[in-house]
Amino acid sequence: MPTLTIRDLTIEYSSGGYAVRPIEGLDLDVDEGELVLLLGASGCGKTTLLSAMASILSPTSGSIRLGDVDVTGLRGAALTDYRRHSVGIVFQAFNLVPSLSALENVAVPLLVAGAGRRDARRRAQDLLAEVHLTDRAGHRPGELSGGQQQRVAIARSLAHDPPLILADEPTAHLDYVQVDGVLRLLRAVAGAGRIVVVATHDERLLPLADRVVELSPRATSASASAPTTPTTIELAAGEVLFRQGDVGELVYVVEQGSIAITRERVDGPPEQVTVIAAGHYFGELAPIFGLRRSATATALSRAVVRGYSERNFRQQMGPRGLADLIAAPIGSRTTTDQPVH
Amino acid sequence: MWLISLRDLQWRRRRFAIAVVATGLAFGLTLVMSGLMHHIRLESGRIVGRFGADAWIVAEGATGPFTTTKMLPVAATDEVRALDGVTDAGPLLVLRSTVGRRDVNVVGYELGSMTEPQRVHRGEPATEPGQAMVDASLGIAVGETVSFAGRTYPVVAVLDDTSFYFGSPTVFLPIVDAQEALIAGQPLASTIVTRGVPTTLPTGLGRLTGNQVHEDLDRITEQSAKTLDLINGLLWIVAAGIIGSIVYMTALERTRDFAVLKATGASSSALMAGLALQALVLSVLSGGVAVVVALLLAPIFPFPVEIPVRAYLTLFAVAITVGLLASLAGLRRVAHTDPAAAFGGA
Repeated sequence: MPTLTIRDLTIEYSSGGYAVRPIEGLDLDVDEGELVLLLGASGCGKTTLLSAMASILSPTSGSIRLGDVDVTGLRGAALTDYRRHSVGIVFQAFNLVPSLSALENVAVPLLVAGAGRRDARRRAQDLLAEVHLTDRAGHRPGELSGGQQQRVAIARSLAHDPPLILADEPTAHLDYVQVDGVLRLLRAVAGAGRIVVVATHDERLLPLADRVVELSPRATSASASAPTTPTTIELAAGEVLFRQGDVGELVYVVEQGSIAITRERVDGPPEQVTVIAAGHYFGELAPIFGLRRSATATALSRAVVRGYSERNFRQQMGPRGLADLIAAPIGSRTTTDQPVH
Repeated sequence: MWLISLRDLQWRRRRFAIAVVATGLAFGLTLVMSGLMHHIRLESGRIVGRFGADAWIVAEGATGPFTTTKMLPVAATDEVRALDGVTDAGPLLVLRSTVGRRDVNVVGYELGSMTEPQRVHRGEPATEPGQAMVDASLGIAVGETVSFAGRTYPVVAVLDDTSFYFGSPTVFLPIVDAQEALIAGQPLASTIVTRGVPTTLPTGLGRLTGNQVHEDLDRITEQSAKTLDLINGLLWIVAAGIIGSIVYMTALERTRDFAVLKATGASSSALMAGLALQALVLSVLSGGVAVVVALLLAPIFPFPVEIPVRAYLTLFAVAITVGLLASLAGLRRVAHTDPAAAFGGA
């Protein structure tokens, strides 16, 4: 079984005309038999990364290799062959074809690849036996529980015995009883020498993993690594305080000068969102909610800003005041309304 | 891929059945319309061909024997018979009247001449004035009587396929009876038909070929035929709309399925072929329903309907073409489905 190697992977796409870069400079090495957890909140790029591994989405730069195969360079027949034989996908919402029985759903990848109907059925029967659903083979997805549907989806992903299994939020639609069976199955699949990559925001899955890749800063870890006391930062004209996509640790208050807030556009130069003048603060959402920076902050002239940790900032504002200020438009919020020191 | 498409048809069988019935009705009506138009075109040829004429002599300037109001004297028949190139001749008087509430054609012929109707279906040809022969579609049997213009005639024979003017039945009478009943006994005729073609014509007469007479008769029904053609076209569009919308809705609803199948290595062309198969099955089954609908409707239709075998074959060819064309929007949808759509929540 091959290994999965990701080098300097960056994925950028357009969202409403703005450039979004959920994955930037990612390196990852996974050996056979390992189960990797891609952990992060919604929108952090988990599914995007899975799509790139499945060669459904082309990254902006960097490489993904599965053994000797450069996944990012696949085109045409080689791409089809990779999707058919090298990767199995378990989708978040099961995504079984509702008109087909469980057996036929499992057989679909084989039929798509041109296998004979009899061979495909035999293989599907074996796989359903592996996921303990032999007695449900003739049932349609609508007649199966969520857990059973997900087990059928896992069996389907194994149809070609691929070396790489990608699972997107496999427990998202399951109750805790059903989750148990699915987790055991995923662990067993990895144990058979395959690589299993699971994208999830569910931290209960952590014990399952051989390796965890955190794709978004968790609020707790971001605040934990932030300085406990306010930090004063001096910026020269044109100097960048933080960039769009960076991990956000601090909330900033402009003490002198002004800061331009800009967003990268896919089809042109950056768009200036606003200018933050002295006495105003900005950048609070990223550290509070564990998000990446949604814009770039650049000093327009020589400027002095003071950086506060999320905890420090919250203490200063009070819980209610913080909520009100988050709802206020950016640039209209001043420290005179709610003093921050 | 065929399995997936056919299973999907089973899965959506209720909607599919409704679409088949609705499309079948539309296709069935097109078949009936085709049968009606076919009959209209056939009946002109039948009545023109019935007299075995090589030439039709009419009053000069007359548009045609079945449509003109310009008459010529019956006495000219002997003059025409004597023309070079003519071996036989007989007069015909073509008029319109009403039997009960039904419009009929009245054709006066000369007893014992070449214009006397042959090939009677039931009964015996008239042998003397005062006897009528009628088209079977008039529904009057041998031994009964037919009345029009205040006169009543015993029916001695029933003939097939003598209707014209959009299926109007024909009553054949000896020409003297027709003249008395409808033109106050004037010794006039609409035409003199000949065996052999006269090389010259007396002054005041014109000559028409069978094709010219046929075209002139068709001119009367041309507008009706065009209307039927238009209705037929609209029915095809309705059927195409039903198939197209069903296939497109299916494509919309199956977007996630297509994305999953693409993500598992299915090609767009294979998926499109699967969807096209559904359109094909829908079209063919609709064609089958259409045949049943047409067979049921034809006998109770108020106009004569003769559906040629060619129309049935054409129906399936057109149905398949229409079905595939109508499914193009759905096929386009399949082609543009991004496999990445398979990811994400329900």
